[in-house]
Amino acid sequence: MTQQLTFYIDRDSQLHRLNPLTKIVLVFSFIIIAFTGPWYLLPAVLIVLAIIPLSFLGRIQKEYAAATRKLLLPVVGFLFVMQSLFHPDTGEILLKLWFLDISVGSLRYAFLTASRIFVMVSAFILLLLTTHPSVLMSDLTRRGLSGSFAYVITSTLQILPQMRAKASTIIDAQRSRGLDTEGGYRQRVRALLPLAGPLVFGSLVEVEERAIAIEARAFTSTQPKTYLTEIPDTPLDRTIRWSLVVLTILTVGSNLWL
Amino acid sequence: MKFIDSIKKDFNTMTWVLIPVAIAINVVIGQIVVLLRLPVYLDSIGTMLVAALAGPWAGALTGTLSNIIWGLAIDPNAFPWFPVALFIGFVTGWCAVAGLFKNWWKVAVTGFFVAITAAVVSTPIAVYLYGGITASGSSFITAYLLETGRGVFEAVFSTNFLVEPVDKIATALLAFAIIKGLSKRYISRFPRSENVEIEEGSRTNQLVIALIIAIVLIIISATVLTLILG
Repeated sequence: MTQQLTFYIDRDSQLHRLNPLTKIVLVFSFIIIAFTGPWYLLPAVLIVLAIIPLSFLGRIQKEYAAATRKLLLPVVGFLFVMQSLFHPDTGEILLKLWFLDISVGSLRYAFLTASRIFVMVSAFILLLLTTHPSVLMSDLTRRGLSGSFAYVITSTLQILPQMRAKASTIIDAQRSRGLDTEGGYRQRVRALLPLAGPLVFGSLVEVEERAIAIEARAFTSTQPKTYLTEIPDTPLDRTIRWSLVVLTILTVGSNLWL
Repeated sequence: MKFIDSIKKDFNTMTWVLIPVAIAINVVIGQIVVLLRLPVYLDSIGTMLVAALAGPWAGALTGTLSNIIWGLAIDPNAFPWFPVALFIGFVTGWCAVAGLFKNWWKVAVTGFFVAITAAVVSTPIAVYLYGGITASGSSFITAYLLETGRGVFEAVFSTNFLVEPVDKIATALLAFAIIKGLSKRYISRFPRSENVEIEEGSRTNQLVIALIIAIVLIIISATVLTLILG
């Protein structure tokens, strides 16, 4: 049983029941709106009024909070501090630290940039927590995405945990044979080859076997395929998608008027 | 039609199966490097491998999907950087087509071109999305340059230009080392196996030449850099 390497949490919620394409449109429209919105507080509003409620709607609020804490806050926090300190200052200077200043202008810029990144990554996290990659790929394939692309993504997500397990086996095996992975600089560089070598060549040899295997299963056939599972696409989905597109166009358009 | 045919040429079944393995190689080696606490990334070895064996379009695809997979499975912060990986694969592929992947020193030159491309492509992304400050240690260099009055683009580009050559040249050399370790029969299954017909020559000689060229190129880029920064 190969473990899947994904963020996906299996739960029943309104977000889970949405069609995968709808969720993708959601992600991209959030990103475009956050990055082209004319108001510097817009991304923050988006977070409070849209993203956090959506995490509750998807019943994944705990996992979302955990992912945010682990992945997002360090990056965004670092960005915010650095930008406040180093961005060219405009407006009133609020604080002077040694040779660095924080001004109203740079704070505003830092806040805008940080909240934009927050929206972007959060939107993806929401997508990934509520959508199984196989379902996503399957839906995109039915809509016309080439089967080879879907194969590559799904296959990679399966190969990764296998390779990691192999890598840690190899690391253990080599260490038990005396490989030094903690010594000085030169030691560590020399340790790279006996660790990576067997892993890389072993996997590459498998490539030929896999290629023969999938060719034997009609991988390159262009005949239309019948699908085992159904992925529903409801009128609600279509309404949501179109509303998001309209909202995005309006936001981008508002830049031209202002 | 010719253009599409040129793209199609890169992709046969072996290519499609190689790409996931190459992406997995990218991820796993990238993480082994972190475990060994070495000051490089080495997360594009698979991309360059595919680019040399299957062509620039396959390489570009591998890079892009590699970033997407990293975002899907490990850290969504990686998503916006896919153009960098795309161009790494693309440039390596064309260098290989031009015959620059056939011995050690030519590969070092390829690595250098890739480093420049990576620096150029990652700069706008860093500036427009992150305002120039990304989450890596090199941001401190950028911050210092910003404080001394450089424009944002200059500061970010200079930082990248300092960091990339070592990493990308090493990556190229490692990808070449892998190719050298594969049998000819195996390589012949790939669409562009003619890119890697290895030129014979004393191995030590070539490695020395490669090292010299790498150092020369790095010195040149550092000089050019100081000229730009004035």
